[in-house]
Amino acid sequence: MTGMAENPLDLLPELLILAGAVLGLLTGLFVPRERQGVVAWICAAALAGSLAATLAVIGRPDVMAFESFAVDLPTNVARLTVAATTLLVLPLARSWAPGDRRESEVYTLVMLAALGALVLAGADDLLVLVAAYLLASIPAYALTGFAKDAAGTEAALKYYLLGAFLGVLMLAGVTLVYGTAGVTAYPDLDRAAPGVAVVLLLAGLLVKAGGVPGHFWVPDAAEGASRPVAAFLTTVPKAGAFVALYRLAQDVFDQPMLPAVLAAVTMTLGNLAAFAQDNVRRLLAYSTVSQAGYLLVPVAMAGRGDLAEPALLFYVAAYAVTNLGAFAVVAAAGTDRLSGYAGLARRSPLLAFSLVVCLLGLVGTPPTAVFVGKVLVFAAAWQGGYAWLAVVAAVNTVASLFYYLRWIRPLYAEGEGEPVGNGWVACVCAAVSLVLGIASGAVLLIPSGGIN
Amino acid sequence: MIWILPTAVGALLLLVRRAPRATAVSTAAATLALAVWAAVTRPATSFPLIFTSGFSVDGLAAVMVVTVAAVALAVLVFATGELREARFYGLMLIFVGAMLATVTATELTVLLMGWEVMGAMSYALIGYWWRDGDRVTSAGVAFVTTRAGDLGLYVAAGAAFAAFTTGGTSGQVLGLAALPELPQPWRDLVAGGIVLAALGKSAQLPFSFWLSRAMAGPSPVSALLHSATMVAAGAYLLLRVEPLLAATGWAGPLVAWVGGLTALLLGGVALAQRDLKQLLAASTCAQLGFMVMGSVAGGAAHLVAHAAVKSLLFLGAGAWLTALGTKDLSELRGAGRRYPVVGVSFAVGALALAGLPPLSLWVTKDSVLAAVHDPWLHAVGLAAGALSAAYAGRALVAVWRGSRSDGRPAETLSWAPLPVLAAGAAVLGVVGLPAVWAWWSGLVGDPGAARVDAGSLALSGALAAAAVLTALVRLPEPRVLTGWLGLEAAARAVLWRPLLALARGAAWFDDRVLDGAVEAVPRLGMAAARLARTPFEMGVDGVVRAVGGAAMGLGRLARRPQTGQVHTYLAQAAVGLIILAVAIVLVR
Repeated sequence: MTGMAENPLDLLPELLILAGAVLGLLTGLFVPRERQGVVAWICAAALAGSLAATLAVIGRPDVMAFESFAVDLPTNVARLTVAATTLLVLPLARSWAPGDRRESEVYTLVMLAALGALVLAGADDLLVLVAAYLLASIPAYALTGFAKDAAGTEAALKYYLLGAFLGVLMLAGVTLVYGTAGVTAYPDLDRAAPGVAVVLLLAGLLVKAGGVPGHFWVPDAAEGASRPVAAFLTTVPKAGAFVALYRLAQDVFDQPMLPAVLAAVTMTLGNLAAFAQDNVRRLLAYSTVSQAGYLLVPVAMAGRGDLAEPALLFYVAAYAVTNLGAFAVVAAAGTDRLSGYAGLARRSPLLAFSLVVCLLGLVGTPPTAVFVGKVLVFAAAWQGGYAWLAVVAAVNTVASLFYYLRWIRPLYAEGEGEPVGNGWVACVCAAVSLVLGIASGAVLLIPSGGIN
Repeated sequence: MIWILPTAVGALLLLVRRAPRATAVSTAAATLALAVWAAVTRPATSFPLIFTSGFSVDGLAAVMVVTVAAVALAVLVFATGELREARFYGLMLIFVGAMLATVTATELTVLLMGWEVMGAMSYALIGYWWRDGDRVTSAGVAFVTTRAGDLGLYVAAGAAFAAFTTGGTSGQVLGLAALPELPQPWRDLVAGGIVLAALGKSAQLPFSFWLSRAMAGPSPVSALLHSATMVAAGAYLLLRVEPLLAATGWAGPLVAWVGGLTALLLGGVALAQRDLKQLLAASTCAQLGFMVMGSVAGGAAHLVAHAAVKSLLFLGAGAWLTALGTKDLSELRGAGRRYPVVGVSFAVGALALAGLPPLSLWVTKDSVLAAVHDPWLHAVGLAAGALSAAYAGRALVAVWRGSRSDGRPAETLSWAPLPVLAAGAAVLGVVGLPAVWAWWSGLVGDPGAARVDAGSLALSGALAAAAVLTALVRLPEPRVLTGWLGLEAAARAVLWRPLLALARGAAWFDDRVLDGAVEAVPRLGMAAARLARTPFEMGVDGVVRAVGGAAMGLGRLARRPQTGQVHTYLAQAAVGLIILAVAIVLVR
């Protein structure tokens, strides 16, 4: 950290999202129901502004805003990822929410949850971390049960109870750290947090990240919540949570074994559980759990080699856009059964191709972006001296091919099915995934030109 | 690098196949503009390929690029009246591009590339009507013959490379300008290879017969192939490496004599033809014989003038072929009067070809002969000149005698290039004027070339006029001349059949002996596999199945915690965390 500052402009991307949420809510109060779509446009404009503001400052020297919020490369990547994916979630929600009495609230809640994820990513103080956790969680609970149907309500309750339980444990962890060290700012903690406190701290963040043992809500919420919300919940909060985990691992504790074990367990459990799924949303949910496992690898390697940070950041961005693309296909196809995808390639070749790109991307096939992320992750594990973890991750990757291919195969088989909706979001995601993968060399060079 | 434009557009046309005619003509026009620009500014590039390669436009290349581009434009405009397929225009543009690359290359590697692409395109264009087996055979004959000559160019490149690697020379590796300084014996090898390739490409003896076969293509193809590309490439190459030929001492006279004999014998062949296109083809061989007779300035002038004359004559023949459906001399009676635009243009071209004053070839041919000091060769050249007057006169008489009224209506737009080319054929002789000659010989890199004197001009003019008149009498047509000296049959008997027999023998050896051994290996492998299958495969299969089953079982196990009951979730999470906490405390 090169300097301290109390300049609100350092937080411009976050402030823009907040302004978008507030303005959207206020507009929603005064606009008739059938014209609530304008709120989505307001939120989209705010997100676009946030993207632009981030792009303008990326590459600047690191700044510590208000002594508790780091504005550095991880924060900026999280800002880009969160703003971009949220921007892509909005059109999904836009095709689901209209006509609802509380349409504008959907957009507002999405914005607030995204804001929570952003603050989570930038938090450089345990108290800010707790506040961000709550900001990211509560709108997400509300979104999960937004449809007020049985499945959604149940999922929301499960999500809430698990989040609250582990969140309290996290708060206990914060207390413990404060009690032993007397400070809550990361730089002052000096990687000396006690082991039990670390376990407790991780507990809460693992809920947001969808890693073991906080992963139980993921399949239920992905299946129970509406499709756009499921896409959002498994994508955006994760970006924030993993950057937060990375900061903790880098600045607050020095226990690489703990996240390494969690990573191995998470990826293995997620992959195994996905094997025989016939519900594509549960399949994707378990796939996100396994992806969380891969993402925990660079967290474990934080501070153990120079590959951990690019690996985490690139993987987060690549995963977010690829996973969102897969969910967008589900939203467009409108069916959750694996058999419902039979013959999709004939009905909508582009959508089927986007799904293939996204699924092969999640496997880690070149030239998609996740492939590059995975290579970086493996390399980081190797560099950090955790070769066994790289091996476990590689074995898991091979195993994961099975259930992704199970989904790809029916696409090109004969079969009748429902007509599909508009899938341009999925196409955009697939295209971004490909471009990011092919241009990965250039993308990875950008920070080394700006930072250092 | 002007060759890129036609080549790229041609390739694009082959892929896209939209609006081929407009595209091709505008591309050719743009290429001509580029060529003129290049001739004025003389650009040069060099780039690393295998060695340092490059393209440059010096004086000789400047003359060539403008000639090639101008003739290509004329031919393509003419072709729009006859052909509509994108394939034709795409191939033609690539053909032109390859020729431009060949004439601007400064080094053997890129020269070879252009040379080869040109050969391949000539095959595709001669066999353009590929449903007709005869034409494809003709294309094959033409291609194989020129390829046989091309081998010489590879020998030359290999020898030049060997010379450079064994050291002793400096300068651009494989650079054309550095060839004369090569050490012996490489210099002789290089010269021999280049001479062979050039003679093959320019259809000199004994390769001449392929040009007869090349008539199978559409008339615009013949017009382009016989004037400014393909055959001209051979002549150009010899002009380009004239310093090398001079350095060897033997290559120059050899080429000159081959050229002279070709001019004489193929002149006779032309005189005996009854088919207008065959007559013109034989005359092309004969005229190219003049170009390679040893004078750079005269040869280049003859090349340019002949390009205009011959493309004009072929386009005229093509026009009649389309309009009247024949190219037989006896059936073309009155064709000149029926289509006066074509007829008059053709007459100008034919009189130029005859070498009548004051038309272009009269001057350029004598400029070539002015540099020939061997009296015997000079005499051969004069005789060949008289022969060209005789066959040109024959063609002229055949189309202007009598009158007729049948045939399709005349084209206007696509025949427009004919008068333009006729003007060129008429006035290009100005190169013989003293002042112009000095500029010209300096331009093409042969300063101080002997200028033709008035006496020999008068002599050859009179000779030509007399020879043209012989067209009015019927001449014998010996079989050996109508059949192109039996060259193709000879080549087939002496080279092709033995080669084929050798190839069959080799194929037999390959099939029976080599292939048998190769096939024995998989047979052995299959037998071993069958042997191994029973005990081992089962085991492997079992392992695979067991792994799959175990994975599915583990999958079921992995879903067990996902009970759907919140309290079990919380309990499991708590237990998991407690285990972690205990572990971390104990390990620490």
